[in-house]
Formats: sequence, C-alpha cells, structure tokens
Amino acid sequence: MSLLLRGPRVAPGRSRRWWLGFGLAMVLLLVVAPVALSAFRLGLLSKYLCFAIVALGIDVAWGYGGMLTLGQGVFFGIGGYAMAMYMKLHQAGAGHLPDFMTWSGVSKLPLIWKPFRYAWVALPAAVLVPVALAVGLGYLIFRQRVRGAYFAILTQALAAAFAIWLVGEQGLTGGTNGLTNFHELLGFNLSDPANQRSLYFVVAGTLLGLFLLARALIQSRYGRLLVAVRDGEDRVRFLGYNPLVVKTLAFAFSAALAGLAGALFVPVVGIISPTLVDVVPSLELLIGVAVGGRGTLYGAIIGAVAVNWAKTGLSEHFASGWLYFQGALFVLVIVYAPGGMVGLWRKGRDAVVGRRTTRPTRTTRTERPEPVSARTVELTSAP
Amino acid sequence: MTALLEIEDLEVVFDGFRAIDHLSFQLDEGELRFLIGPNGAGKTTLIDVVTGLTRPAGGSVRFEGTELVGRREHEIVRRGVGRTFQTATVFEQLTVQENVDLAATFRMPYRSLLRRARRPAGGVMQALATVELEGVADRPAAVLSHGQRQWLELAMLLVQQPRLLLLDEPVAGMTKQERSRTGELLGQIAKERTVLVVEHDMDFLRRFASTVTVMHEGKILCEGPLAEVQANPMVQEVYLGRSERGTPALVGAVAVPQDPPGSGDAAVTGGAQAAGAR
Repeated sequence: MSLLLRGPRVAPGRSRRWWLGFGLAMVLLLVVAPVALSAFRLGLLSKYLCFAIVALGIDVAWGYGGMLTLGQGVFFGIGGYAMAMYMKLHQAGAGHLPDFMTWSGVSKLPLIWKPFRYAWVALPAAVLVPVALAVGLGYLIFRQRVRGAYFAILTQALAAAFAIWLVGEQGLTGGTNGLTNFHELLGFNLSDPANQRSLYFVVAGTLLGLFLLARALIQSRYGRLLVAVRDGEDRVRFLGYNPLVVKTLAFAFSAALAGLAGALFVPVVGIISPTLVDVVPSLELLIGVAVGGRGTLYGAIIGAVAVNWAKTGLSEHFASGWLYFQGALFVLVIVYAPGGMVGLWRKGRDAVVGRRTTRPTRTTRTERPEPVSARTVELTSAP
Repeated sequence: MTALLEIEDLEVVFDGFRAIDHLSFQLDEGELRFLIGPNGAGKTTLIDVVTGLTRPAGGSVRFEGTELVGRREHEIVRRGVGRTFQTATVFEQLTVQENVDLAATFRMPYRSLLRRARRPAGGVMQALATVELEGVADRPAAVLSHGQRQWLELAMLLVQQPRLLLLDEPVAGMTKQERSRTGELLGQIAKERTVLVVEHDMDFLRRFASTVTVMHEGKILCEGPLAEVQANPMVQEVYLGRSERGTPALVGAVAVPQDPPGSGDAAVTGGAQAAGAR
C-alpha cells in the first residue's frame, strides 16, 4: 500500500539537475550569446533557433511518435508566407499592391491576400493554418493506416508539390524569388541593430517556452501513449485507444511549431521563398534532429543549431562541399549513432562511470533490437 | 436469457483457405470456457474476429446483443471485450507501472491525458498486486521474464475491467510454477468475469478447465465437460489422425485420460505411449 503514496517517479535529484541544466541554457541563450556574439553572428543564431523550433516539433512527431515527417517545410512555409504577406501589405500601404505584384502585371489584390492586411489575422493564421492542414492530412493518412516509409514519401511529395506550386503562381506568391525586401514589423525598423537584437530575444524566449511546453506534453500520460503508439500501434488499439487521434495530435503539434518558426524566420532573415520550404530544407531540419538525438528534446535543439552552424561554417570555406558533408553525416549518424550526439554522450558517460541507467530513456527503437510488440499482431493474425 | 457472446454462421476465408467454416458458438455470462483444437483449427482466428482484427466473410458476432462485426478494434475494447496475445506484447520503453497505467486510462478524456501523471490511476496498484508485480513496478517492462510479461498483460487487461476476457494461450512458455500461479489467477478472475481461454497445455486444462469446446478445421467439433470431450471418439480421431504433425501433448491427454496431473512433460510422455499403443 505504501506504493500508493509514492510521489512522482522522477527522483528529486534528477529533477533538480534538469532545472539546473535548463537554467544554464537560459543563461547561455539570453545572457552569454547576446554579449559574446557580434550582431551578424547573433542574427545567424536567431535563424538557427527558428530551425530549432521546427526541430522540436519534428522530434515530438518522429522521435516520440515514430512519424518520419519529411515535409515540415510546408508548415514552415505557410507560417512564413502568412507573416510575409502581412508585412508586404503593411509596407505597401492601404490601397496599394505589393511591389512584386505590380512587376508581375497583377492589377487587383488577390482575394486570399485580403485578410492578411491585419496582424490579428496573419499571426494566428501562421500557426492555425498549418495545424488545420496537419489535422486534415493526418486524419486522411492515419485513418488509412499509412505509416513508415509510405508516410515519409507522402510528406516529402507534399513539400515538393508545395514548392512547385509556389514557383508557378508568380503573381500570387512572388514565384522563385519569394517574398523579400522587408523594412519594418509592427512599427519597428528591421535594419536597426537594437531591434534585431530584440528579435533575437523574442525567438530565444519562444524557443525556451516551447521547449517547456513540449516537455510537458512528453511527460504527460499522452506522451507515454505516443511512445506506445510508436512501438506498437496495433497493440494500442487493443487497449481501447484510437491511434489515429494520438498520431494526428502529435503531427498537428509539430505543424504548429513549424508554422510559428516560419513566422519568426521571415523578420529575422528577411525572406521566404520556395527554396526554403522545398524537400532539401525539410530534410535538413530532420538531419538536425537525427544528429542531435531524436527522442530527447534538448538533443533535437542542439542538433538543429549544430548542423546549421556547421553548414554556415563550411559554406564559408568550401561553397559546394556542404551537401556532400551533410549526406555523409546523415548516413553516419543513422548507421553508427542512431541516438545522435545525446546517445553518444550517454554511452560515453556510462562507459566512464561504469553504470547502467536503471530507467530506459525513451529513445528510438532502432537502438534496440526490434521489440516483439510490433510484430506480434501480425503473427497472431495468421490462420 | 441471451448469451453474452453469440457467434452465428461465421465464415472466415484467407486466400481461398476456409479458416472458419460456418461456425456458431455461444458463451454465457460468468462462464469460464476453454477452447482447444489442433494447430490451424481456427482458435486464434476466432478471437481475432471477435476483437475486430480479422474481418469475416460472413456471419455475425454479437456481444450483449450488439453486432461487433465491422467495428474497429478500439471500439470493441471500449464495449468491454479485452484480449491478450500468444506472445505477450508490452511496451518495453515504459515501466511496468506505466504499462498498466496506460491501460487503466483508456476512457480518460484527452484533456486529462495531456496532464502530467502525478500518481498511478485508480486500480493500477491493485492490478499489479493481483499479478504480484508490485516489486518491479518502477522497472522498465523490457527487463521482465516471459512469464512476467504474460502477467503484466493480464494486469493491463484486468485494470480495464472488461466484461469478456479472451486469453490466447496464457501459459505458453511458462515454467511449472508460473503455470500453477496463472491457473490460480484465472480461477480468481473467472469468479467475476466471463473468460474464454485458448490453451494447448493438457496438464493445465485438466487442473483448471471445466467446460471445453473443441475446434477442428474451422468448425466446432464438440462441447462439454473435459472428461466427456476426451472420451468422444470424434475428438480422439481428430487428434490421433494428426499425431505425426499434430500436437503430441493433446494426443496423449486425449488417449490417456487417466494420466495423472504431473509435470508438463507427462503429457508428452503420454503422447509417446499413445503412439506406441496404436
């Protein structure tokens, strides 16, 4: 009976250490980085942190939910375009068309652009449209029990189609060039270094807040359910849960984060274009999560920042070398370190300290032999 | 009074192979029934159809008067039909307690599921105590032995309080002590619920079974008390006729009903005797 009175399972020491780590990250992001980095590097870090927000969402969907989503660029793009449309209209002023429309020979503001004149429409739309799309898609895809590689291919095709459509609709979307040339946001001049710095704090603060939200999600009963669906979707059905709902929720959460990140990305970087939402950037986001360590939230953030940092660094020295490096990195991580940087660190620590973790970390299943659970239902359904 | 589970004229076909052939079957409220039969008789298929995993080609499955055919797996569970699998399937990445907790909260609305679980849901610790797994509650399910996994699955089933339990070979691969313990558990569970058990283990059947249904080639061969069924010439024919590739445990038990309950190997020895006698 004493078991009934037992408190939360996380030991107090463990929890205290976690908050210490979180506090350290806060200090690094909000104090050290703004002081130590030049305005240019801080701007780059803002960009990486936007990608880290997307990575956080991918990690929930893929690392915990087992949904290999290769099309996060779509949600990121919708968020980005929603924000960019608002900024363009605001800049053009009432009654005027955005500059690129005039060049494309468009004489009347397209209907879909009209609501984006208002910040109170555009900003929520950056999150809610991706969520609505993810719920619709998730419902259709997961109801048909499409999963694994098929789900991955489907989402990737979606990203490709979205990018092609954006390029094709020159007058509506700005075509290949995308939407760019922004001067201000909500009355703040974007070329002012002080405002760029404030923008950095907004992005960093958003990331930290979303990290806590994602953590709460993962540590809830729903979080366990999500892991259970990843490891044995068919078994979960026989516990009376509908995996369709469980998966759609996580997918929608990842879409919301991607949309929000896209909306932040536009004022930070100053552009949104089809090349930023296509298949390759969607994959890059995923590689960040894999390198950092899927199935641990901080791993995804570290990975996203590290990969993008490396990308900038390498591109500065060997302009074309990055793609090869990235491909090699992805293959190496998947084959030799499926747990990513976090997995390697844990292995190293355990080897040094010589202990085995008593609780399993909810990392990906490729680290262990295929669990029996996933296969059993198939076996039992044989005549 | 109508039966709790009523199967009528059921037909299941896999690529032309008739796994269940116009089968009708009834199970009354409060019964503990054992389902036996040679390999490939369709026992597991029958459970699969009831729980929505396999779609039948024809016929009906009614539970408390409601048709189950065409409903999805989780809906059937929510109506009060729970099952276990031949190979215990538990979530290795979660602790033992979390596994049971996951089962316990299956009717919880999502707004509650999204909250952090400060303490286990109601009934979780009790279910763990029933299967004597409280000692490993905080260990990952991955460290459990085969027998313990079966019990964990049973605890996950019990905590959901189903009205009908379908157990697919609950003692397969268990040691002698584990089998005895499972038998006692089964007796305890059957007092309050309706249970259908698919089981091969003859020793286990002799000790714990009262009413038995024998399936063969997708049909019900006969039904009744174990002793009566064992004496049935049709049943003996089915098992003996298949002795080369069939299940020696059952052959022995059917042919030598007086075989004293002993170790699990006794049944196999019995099988050899029966084959020799023939």
